Amino acid sequence: MKKRSSIILVLFFLFSLFVSLCAGRFPIGIEGIARLVLVGLGLDEAFGTPLHEVQLIFWNIRLPRIIMSFAVGCGISIAGAVFQALFRNPLAAPDILGVTAGSCFGAAAAIMFFSGMTAAVQCSSFAFGVVAVSLAYLLATRSWDTSAAVLVISGIVVSAFFQAGLSVLMYIANPYDQLAQIVFWIMGSFHASSWAKVQTTLPIVVVGSVLIGVFSWRLNMMTQHEEQALSMGIDVFRWRLFYVGVSTLMVASSVASVGTIAWVGLIMPHIARYLAGPDHKRLIPVTAFLGGTFLMLMDTIARSILANEIPISIITSIFGAPFLGYLVMKRREAGVNDELAH
Amino acid sequence: MSLHIENIHAGYGKANVLDDVSLQVNQGCICALMGRNGSGKTTLMRCINAVLKPARGRVTAMGQDITRLSRLEIARLVSIVPQSSDTAFPFSCMEMILMSCANRIKAWSAPSSREHARVRLILEELEIGHLADRPFNHLSGGEKQLVMLARALFQDTPFMLLDEPNAHLDFAHQHTIMELMRGVVKKRGVTVLITLHDPNLVLYYCDRVAMMKMGRIVTEGPTEDVMNDRVLREVLGNGIQMEVTRKGRRVVTPMGRVTKNISLLPDTDEESEPCDVRTANGTVS
Repeated sequence: MKKRSSIILVLFFLFSLFVSLCAGRFPIGIEGIARLVLVGLGLDEAFGTPLHEVQLIFWNIRLPRIIMSFAVGCGISIAGAVFQALFRNPLAAPDILGVTAGSCFGAAAAIMFFSGMTAAVQCSSFAFGVVAVSLAYLLATRSWDTSAAVLVISGIVVSAFFQAGLSVLMYIANPYDQLAQIVFWIMGSFHASSWAKVQTTLPIVVVGSVLIGVFSWRLNMMTQHEEQALSMGIDVFRWRLFYVGVSTLMVASSVASVGTIAWVGLIMPHIARYLAGPDHKRLIPVTAFLGGTFLMLMDTIARSILANEIPISIITSIFGAPFLGYLVMKRREAGVNDELAH
Repeated sequence: MSLHIENIHAGYGKANVLDDVSLQVNQGCICALMGRNGSGKTTLMRCINAVLKPARGRVTAMGQDITRLSRLEIARLVSIVPQSSDTAFPFSCMEMILMSCANRIKAWSAPSSREHARVRLILEELEIGHLADRPFNHLSGGEKQLVMLARALFQDTPFMLLDEPNAHLDFAHQHTIMELMRGVVKKRGVTVLITLHDPNLVLYYCDRVAMMKMGRIVTEGPTEDVMNDRVLREVLGNGIQMEVTRKGRRVVTPMGRVTKNISLLPDTDEESEPCDVRTANGTVS
């Protein structure tokens, strides 16, 4: 990765962090942030104590929300890069094996049958996300064809099944209460972020990211044709199970906490590849950093731009899709065969 | 250090492709597999590489049964150069070649600077050092095959399988690949099994040849002994013959019609140039 790209990435992170800390329904200036940090360090007497409300908003609402958005962005983006490598397809997204469809179904079921209790929604969503991918995997192993393509088809089948289930739940849901909750949940939001959610999501994302990061170079071989990867000594089936398992846990825990996040898992690996190249040893950390920073900034826009909070997927789509289009155009203009051409 | 293939039966589903195939390839030799399309050459390669499990029979390399080894152990014994290769992501040639050191580094590590230096040495050996940092997908077919050959060499195995490495290559690149292979065998003492369609390449470069037809090995032995009119016609088709040039080189040429309906030579009324060849039995044609 070029030094210039690294500097741009760090500056982008610092800018996003600063904006995220300051902006919101209750703006806090640089001075306010400095005071809050100093109070946190026990130096409040020298600089004066900020208002109690400001402290509450900053420590109990804004900070966990920023951490959640960064962690979810990291997890989903890494999963996107992993699935793109495993399926040798730069257009693969983290929900390709049905994790999102399963999670949405699980969340909708909990909203309807457990009165939308936060813990129940989170647990049910996580469990159904994992179940969906497990079903896709089991279905694929029943085929004589062991290629990744069969796994994709199984994922499509399982996704369709859970989407149908979700449609049934939405059809029978109470339109004045439950339906609105389900729709808002599906569109994703960090508005309910809390330290409790950080405690359930962050460890899975951190452990998953570290595991993928440690074994990231092996992903290069997984992008090769199956027989070539085998002949280079890669036990393709075991490694695929490992990468799919870890990525699924990261995506399921993220979706269970904040709902679906569109585009991030698809676009961030592309931009990271543009900055760091295709070698996964460099690509995975850059994707994680970029995905976390991007989602942190998008969430700040979602909660600050209008009086009402905008679902995060709307914002990520509005900003993400044109940016991917711009990247593709730029590469074509440069006369380079971008990876989308394959 | 030889490769033994013993009574292999293999296929896909219910279709049996290989029928009791046995072959021995000794160390430091280039052995060609010849046969028409669908005769089972690639299936045999897949069995040797343990990508396809034979229904019966076994493959042993250096005395070890391939089917009982782990993928990592097999990758330390056998490397393969595929017919063609592409990658979905814009890897550089260096990155493509480095992948094959996965058989000797820890699962959690990445290639060291020493491995990078070794790749550069191999690229220089193949005279393609200038390709190191170029994107693999931007190369021509011939350059890609050279890079894949470099990758197999970097895997550093005693056995190399080349599955039609000359497919889609121009005349010069075909000979470049074969000459490089001869040099590699001489220098490193590796054992090479190669599938080829051009009998003249087999005549020029291969020590031994196994002729395959309908999933069986019809005949096998030193190239000079095996390649004759009768065997070539039986395995490759009726319309070809072995001839000897004025310089004493044996060449295989088409006689006009190889299969019933396809003419390989244009029908022309013009008198052709006098031909400097003799048929294998000595008569001047």
